[in-house]
Amino acid sequence: MKTDQLIAALAADAPAEPGLGASLARWLLPALALTALALLGIWGLRPGLAAALMQPAVAAKVALPLVLAGTALVLALRSSRPEARPSLLPLAVLGALALALLAAGLLTTPQARWPQAWLGNTALACLISIPALAVLPLAAGLLALRRGASTSPARTGLLAGLLAGAAATALYALHCPEDSPLFYVCWYGLGIVISGAAGRLLGPRLLRW
Amino acid sequence: MTEVEWAALLRAANAGDARAYRRFLHAITPMLRGLVRARGGSLGAEHCEDIVQEVLLAIHLKRHTWRSDAPLRPWLYAIARHKVIDAFRARGQRVDLPLGDFAELIAADPGPDPTEASDALRMIERLDPRSAEIVRAIGIDGEEIAETSRRLEMTEGAVRVVLHRAFKRLAALRERHIE
Repeated sequence: MKTDQLIAALAADAPAEPGLGASLARWLLPALALTALALLGIWGLRPGLAAALMQPAVAAKVALPLVLAGTALVLALRSSRPEARPSLLPLAVLGALALALLAAGLLTTPQARWPQAWLGNTALACLISIPALAVLPLAAGLLALRRGASTSPARTGLLAGLLAGAAATALYALHCPEDSPLFYVCWYGLGIVISGAAGRLLGPRLLRW
Repeated sequence: MTEVEWAALLRAANAGDARAYRRFLHAITPMLRGLVRARGGSLGAEHCEDIVQEVLLAIHLKRHTWRSDAPLRPWLYAIARHKVIDAFRARGQRVDLPLGDFAELIAADPGPDPTEASDALRMIERLDPRSAEIVRAIGIDGEEIAETSRRLEMTEGAVRVVLHRAFKRLAALRERHIE
């Protein structure tokens, strides 16, 4: 087949294509909506949620994952363009912010109560719930990003995993009654890392082209 | 033709303008060929043309990842680099392409348009008969979508769907060929 002939055939297949952001939205929004419904139906909201959110430490455990999810979303889209090499520095900044929260928690908690604050009563539930809530958004994100052209699929997969894990965490924080940064920086953080690692592993398989 | 003109063509193409798209693909092909030959002259002209076609197919399937306000050449080069490295790996060779841009790489003379590339036909034969017939009719026999749809008693939309799936399938077949 001559190259001119291939070009003629390719040109015959030139409908307008939606951009990557549009297809990510189309997959991710329903997945997040279903995940939110699952949280409401299976986990339920914590009692007195509105009042609790007035406390800075409680607001932070919802807000920080939301900011992380937004950042990972932007970076995942950017890294799905072939020429892009987005820096992961914004993620490091957010990690440092989480560590600062942890330090503030350590300073304001009497040392004798550190173990109890760190372990809380629901660490295991948290570690299972966050990755479980992240499954659907991760699947949706990776499927949407298959239309992308990432030249570093592991990194794009990692970003999709962090996005899903952080979104799942922001939702789970609406259920979880543990309000010490000692608890949530560790266990939420670990949940997000598990989801990120899953994305990192799946990326090279799913996002190659 | 300048990068600005290429960008205008691809912008129109991504909005659905098939003629602009054809001109765009024609315009970039000598540059792609130059890139492949500069690095893979030892493979022979026919294999080089296979790789050029693989790159064109990848550009086709990923054209929506170009943001119309972004510079075109780095995007084009990144796709070409990715597929050229893949293609050489599939043929048991390594190729060294710097990150960045075409700048130093397009000095090579693209030379005359070779007659045939061999892989494409072999891959088309592995499509299901209807897809293969449609790709051949439109590519090799130069039929319009409208003619093909009349001849095969399909709607134009259905022909387009088959054609689009066929390209995705061809890209996947080439991918497997790499494994």
